Amino acid sequence: MLMMDVDNTPRRPSAAPDDVLIAIDQLSKTYVSASGAAVHALSRISLDIKPGEFVCVVGPSGCGKSTLLRLLAGLDGYSDGRLLLDGEAVAGPSRKVGVVFQAANLLPWMTVRDNVRLPLRVGGKHAPAADRIERLLAVTGLGEFGDKYPYELSGGMQQRAGICRALARDPEILLMDEPFGALDALTRERLNLELQRIWQENRKTILLITHSISEAIFLADRVIVMSARPGRILADLHVPIPRPRTFDDIVLHPDYARLAKEVRGLLNAQEHGHD
Amino acid sequence: MTDLANIAAPAMTPKPTKPSRRLGLGSPIAWIGLAVLILSWIAAVKLLNIPSYILPKPEAVVRALWSGLAVSPASPLGYYLPLWSTLSNAAVGCAIGVGLGLVIGSLMAEVEAIERLVMPYAFALQSLPKVAIAPLIVIWFGFGDGSKIAISALLSFFPVLINSFTGLRAVEPERLDLMRSLSASRLETYRIVKLPNAAPFIFAGLDMAVVYALLGAIVAEFLGAQRGMGVVITQAQAVSDVAGVFAALIILGVLGIVLHGIVRWCEAKVVHWGANRKK
Repeated sequence: MLMMDVDNTPRRPSAAPDDVLIAIDQLSKTYVSASGAAVHALSRISLDIKPGEFVCVVGPSGCGKSTLLRLLAGLDGYSDGRLLLDGEAVAGPSRKVGVVFQAANLLPWMTVRDNVRLPLRVGGKHAPAADRIERLLAVTGLGEFGDKYPYELSGGMQQRAGICRALARDPEILLMDEPFGALDALTRERLNLELQRIWQENRKTILLITHSISEAIFLADRVIVMSARPGRILADLHVPIPRPRTFDDIVLHPDYARLAKEVRGLLNAQEHGHD
Repeated sequence: MTDLANIAAPAMTPKPTKPSRRLGLGSPIAWIGLAVLILSWIAAVKLLNIPSYILPKPEAVVRALWSGLAVSPASPLGYYLPLWSTLSNAAVGCAIGVGLGLVIGSLMAEVEAIERLVMPYAFALQSLPKVAIAPLIVIWFGFGDGSKIAISALLSFFPVLINSFTGLRAVEPERLDLMRSLSASRLETYRIVKLPNAAPFIFAGLDMAVVYALLGAIVAEFLGAQRGMGVVITQAQAVSDVAGVFAALIILGVLGIVLHGIVRWCEAKVVHWGANRKK
């Protein structure tokens, strides 16, 4: 009889495709700003993400989408609600998660290879993975650049290394916070293509935050549109465009136009509502 | 993949840093300044008829320099023995001061309780002219090498303390987020991120520390010593040998420039990413 109350505890993962990997339930985050005012960054967000899904979050500046990513990464605590990764409540950074930061965030005093290997050098014992590191570098076109320092690389190459580093521990989940925001349009498209390929090859679950509507639709299985602060989910749009996608094809696809129009409409309504 | 590698190629030409430039002696204008200074010195002595116990003739200073340098290194009349004595005391004191400054600065940056405990006194002591403590230190440590080392250590301690503390706290929050996202331990974060990040600050402190250590050793020698460059100066002063004082000062000036150059050279080797640093 005492065992009765376990029924709603999520079980350990059974790799069924429609399992939920990231469960976000009524999640809220309030923090106190420097001026002492309470800021409601997120308000009762609910979202389930399946293993292997590619989810993009778009929203106006300061809508709390980066906050959402920080909560998922275990970098900040949440105020209310539930947040489960693989059935376990998030209580801090997890080895199941790799984070790709804005503008690469490489350490300038280390070579590219050492930067990519960093996750295996810190935070406890790790199985040796020299082969995987070399493969990651090769796959992202950094094979010959392992001994270079970050300042010797272009912004696009630096962010490739940032992605390699996030993949070093072979995590199930990749969280990406506007990873290509600082890059020029052409490099950005190139890296979008490459990210799609990496994702298709090893089917990580990816949550990517972006400002760019075209980037979101190009990459995502689902585009989540968020409102201005306090961040709420306005829409959860399925992207039915077949893969592999290319930028030339996708702009001609009728669903692309429809989705872009819908997302743009939602975001514009936000801007006007808040001016 | 290769096409992407090619696109990035132009951005990778290494940009060498030139430490000699940073010394300020690479530019011809610096040497012109020196020539003007020496010429106006000669002119002042010749034309204004300034007595030699106020401003010696340049040739008298050169003669004094020569008599101190052109002797056997073991000669009690040369500069080598006093220079070695001053330099070794300053070096030991500097090592102690820099070591303590780095350790206490690190503890202050890492542990808030230690920061609160030490910071008010560190700043109070920092604003005290520390040379004024020197007579007290001579009472405690005597007229031997101990007091020279202690004053050198005291003077070189503060710049390293303040700079290492500031540098360790000046880490970009994104880099700390990275280490936290990897569940890195505090020691790992210190060693891998905070310390390299603070290296340019620490070297700036070290640059001051070596000069202060030299200053400390000489001040201690002024207060009483059997040997050292401070003794050379006070002995020359006692017999109104102004040319001898000038010569000793030139030796110390050159020594200061050399020490500064060594620190800069080490910095360029260690902080190799510094000149090309990008956010």
